[in-house]
This record gives sequence, C-alpha cells and structure tokens, in this order.
Amino acid sequence: MPKEIRILGIETSCDETAASIVKNGKEIMSNVVNSQIRVHQQFGGVVPEVASRKHIQNIVMVVHTAFAEAGMSYDDIDAVAVTNRPGLIGALLVGVSFAKSFAYALNKPLIAVNHLYGHIYANFLEHDNIEFPLVCLVVSGGHTSLLFMQDIENYEVIGETLDDAAGEAFDKVARFLGLGYPGGPAVERAAEKGVKGRYQLPRVFLDRDDFDFSFSGLKTAAMNLWTKMERRGEANVYDMAAEFQAALVEVLAVKTARAAEKYKARSILLAGGVAANSELRRAAQIEADRLGIKLYYPSLKLCTDNAAMIAGSAYHKFINGQFASLDLNAYATMSML
Amino acid sequence: MLLLAIDSATPVAGVAILNEEKVLYEEFCNYRKTHSETLLPMIDRALKVCACSLHDIDVIGITAGPGSFTGLRIGMAAVKGLSLATGKPIVAVSTLDMLAANVLPCEDILAVPLLDARKNEVYSAVYTFRYGTMQKVVEEKAWGIEELALKIREKKESLFKKYVVILGDGYYPYAAYWQEVLEESLLLPPEHLMYPRSAAMGKIALAKAERGDFADVFTLTPVYLRLSEAEYRLGRGEL
Ligand SMILES: [Zn+2]
Repeated sequence: MPKEIRILGIETSCDETAASIVKNGKEIMSNVVNSQIRVHQQFGGVVPEVASRKHIQNIVMVVHTAFAEAGMSYDDIDAVAVTNRPGLIGALLVGVSFAKSFAYALNKPLIAVNHLYGHIYANFLEHDNIEFPLVCLVVSGGHTSLLFMQDIENYEVIGETLDDAAGEAFDKVARFLGLGYPGGPAVERAAEKGVKGRYQLPRVFLDRDDFDFSFSGLKTAAMNLWTKMERRGEANVYDMAAEFQAALVEVLAVKTARAAEKYKARSILLAGGVAANSELRRAAQIEADRLGIKLYYPSLKLCTDNAAMIAGSAYHKFINGQFASLDLNAYATMSML
Repeated sequence: MLLLAIDSATPVAGVAILNEEKVLYEEFCNYRKTHSETLLPMIDRALKVCACSLHDIDVIGITAGPGSFTGLRIGMAAVKGLSLATGKPIVAVSTLDMLAANVLPCEDILAVPLLDARKNEVYSAVYTFRYGTMQKVVEEKAWGIEELALKIREKKESLFKKYVVILGDGYYPYAAYWQEVLEESLLLPPEHLMYPRSAAMGKIALAKAERGDFADVFTLTPVYLRLSEAEYRLGRGEL
C-alpha cells in the first residue's frame, strides 16, 4: 500500500443520516450522525417515508460536516463507501444515489457495504487483536442475526430471527406499556426498578438446537399477561419490563454461547443497537467467562447506526479492489453478504 | 451555458445536455428498470457522447417534483452528490412545468399536465401561453379528479380558451372521464410528448439559471405536494 487510505462512509439504512471518514480501517477522523429519533418518536416507531424525507434533507450537511471535522477537502479521500443493504429501501436509496454520484464526480472508487457487516466491524475499530474464529450477535431494531466468522473477510449467517428483530420487540412492548420510544433504553430503565421472575414469560426457541430466534411470540405473551394483570389490578410495569428484558436477553446470550461452543470460537462479539443493553452485556460476559473466551462489544456510540463502521469495514474491500459499478442498487433484504 | 438536466420524477428516467442554442443529447428511458440502476450510467453516457466532463457543465437541472417520492429522491440525491463534489449550481424545475413545456404554445389552449397521485387524485396545475411564454394560472396540488374538472371548466370560460391539452400518465386511468367532460375541447399530444422530457426541463432550467434562480444544495428537498401517510394519520389523531 502506497499511502494512508482514507475512506468516506455513508449510512442511511434506517433513521440515522450518517457520514464518517476513517483512515486505514482503524482511525476515525470524523463520525457525524444526524439522528431522527425525535422525529419518529411521535409515531412510536420509524416511519419509512418520513425517514427517507429526512435523509434527502440532511445528507449534504452531514457529509460536508464529516469533511470539515476531519479537516479534509472532498478530493482528499481515496474511496466512497455506502450501505446498500439491508434496510428500508427508500432510505437506502438516498445514501446509495448520493454516494454513487459523489464518487463519480470525484473520480474515486465506490464500495458497497452490508450494514450488518458494518455493525460487526464496529468492534474492530475499537479493539485490537480480536481472535478468530468468532461468533457475532448482531442485534438492533432492524436485525437479530448470529454470524460465524473464520476471519475478517469470511463470514456466514448461522441463525436469525424468523419474525421481529429484538430491538423491534423492545419498541413494541415499550410502546404497549407506555414506556416511550426508542424501546430498548426505555425498557432497560424501567427494568432497573423492577424484579425479574415475578412475572413468567417464555424463553422462546431456547429449547431448539438451531440458532434462529423468534420474538413475536414473546411480545404477544407479554402483552397478554399485562392485560390480564391490569384487569386484576396487579400490574407492575417495572417487574414486567424486568421480566421481558430477562426473557429476551437470556435467549440471546445462551444461544450465542451455544454457537460459540459448536463453532469452537475464540471470541464472542456483540454488535448493533441492542448491544448497548447492559443486561445483555452482563449475560454475555457470564457466558463468555464460562467458556473461557473473550467477549467484545463496541462503545455505545458505535453500537447504534453510524458511518464509521461503514467506512472502516470498506478498507479490506479497498485493499482487495472490490469496487462497485455505477449501476449499484440498494436492497431491503440481507441475502448475499 | 452548458446544462445537464436529470429527471427521475416519474416512471420515466431522462438525461439531457443542452445550451441556449440547441439540445445536444437526450436520453429517455421508460423501460421497467429502477432509476437507481439506470440514472448514473445515463449521465455517464451523456457526458461521454458529448465529449465533455462534469467540469465543462455550468449548471445541473433537476426535477423538483411532484412525482414518485422515491424517484424524486433518487434524482435529487444524485444531483446533490454531483453538485457538492464539483461546486456546480443546481436549478430545480417543477415536474408539471416540465410537462406543460411539451405543448405547442398556442394562445387558445389550456395545458393541463396530470401525474397519477393514486387515491383518485392527480398532481396537476393549469397553464396558458401568451406571446410564447408559459403562465401558471392554477397552482400545483393533489387534485380530486372532479374538483379539477370544475376548475378547468371555470378557467376555460373565464380566459376564453378553445382547447384543453392534457399531458402525463395521470390521463390514462381516467381517460373516459376526461373525454366525457371535455368533449371536443380535449386535445392530446402525440404519445412521445405525453411524458416528462429532460430536454424540456433543461430549457426551463436554462431560463431559471439565466435569472439566477438557483437551489441550495444543502437545503433542497423534493416538492412532494403531500404529507406521508403516517403524518396524515397523526394529523387526524389516529396514531
Ligand atoms: Zn443497524
């Protein structure tokens, strides 16, 4: 490699408009995130059309700020990386369309990044010497997937949610219990004041020996139980939050540990917005300690959607010359990692 | 002044390069393929055929809306990327103005572009021509079909117009209705002029650029003419 490689990353797959410049896949020179949480709060969840409208409104300011904070001019970058899957299609298209023409006008290569891979890579931005092979649990409002990674470039999905994502279940239950949006932090705060086990919720799919998840049933069970308890006048929102969080976290942590055992992993990684949940971190730590392997998770800022993880993860594709063409499209679904 | 016009507001994608004297290049695509795949290769071809680069372009024209929400954003995001990287100014042109510019500018007609807005509505406005200059006499909005028909009749009578020229894909779903209410006054252009044409938009954009009527790359957003579904429901207290 002749010189330092600086890549601009652009991320618009859900409700954050983000841009970042990362040097050599490691050093974050700027990391700008324009969150739409307040906008979507009034709807109780992310509204795709509203998110897309915000992205087109904000994208230029966010990208411009990323360059300003890095103290760089547009032409100083070596490549433009953009999330092109999975996510809200209309939202993705704003980032992809912008990134393509920006790269084209600057005559720089374009790199397509899978959002999930970006989340995983957030760990590599902050931690050195992560040992392979590893399993990574990616959990957020949009996804719940378990991945096996042989090395930094080779990974496969070994399990995923068959219905709601974990973060989505948090959102829906939080909204149902009147705890607010986003649901993850809201449930976590309420759970701190409650006791798990006072209510009993199912550990869905914990009895199965695959690595898939299901949270829709847990969500419904929580809602039904809550309605019943309210009728009896015995409803305690804190205890309910604590039990719901415990039921969800236990399944995530235990199944991740089982995957680590089966695949002889030397590390466990957590990634995505729900990896910010302290109960999940605690439970995963216990499992990792039991297996005698290391647990890693990103700092809070890099757990939620950001573009540093996109710019960082594009570095290896840059080195390998894996560039995208002018007809790059966006895709709502995972497939083809 | 060399202008690059980019349109993806409707199922049509179009790119043109033109100056005050002539249209140098126009590409039009109404084949079912997503704009996000086709648009940038079209821009690249246009520049190559005209043996120029983005740096030779003075102004970039873009369809402002109304139209397909996603289509509008694909074009606008692309234009923002080009403009931010090169510093070239942007001019935004109404999709309805662009359609009306397909019409022969006769003084005895009303031009009514219709874009299908679903839910029994069309995005529309009404135009007249005087000394070759286009004038908007009814503002842009999402119109109920019958409400618009009344408005057209009113304007036709008060402005003493003989014909109503209808353009745009919003005509077809209600063709029978328009034929019935407008009778012999209805005129349709040849099929190739029923669609938004990037060259027509480019001509309007050149005139706007001449007047210094530029858009801000930071704040430019599409003219949707409609809230999102969720915002409507929120307004009605259903959420
Ligand atoms: Zn994410």
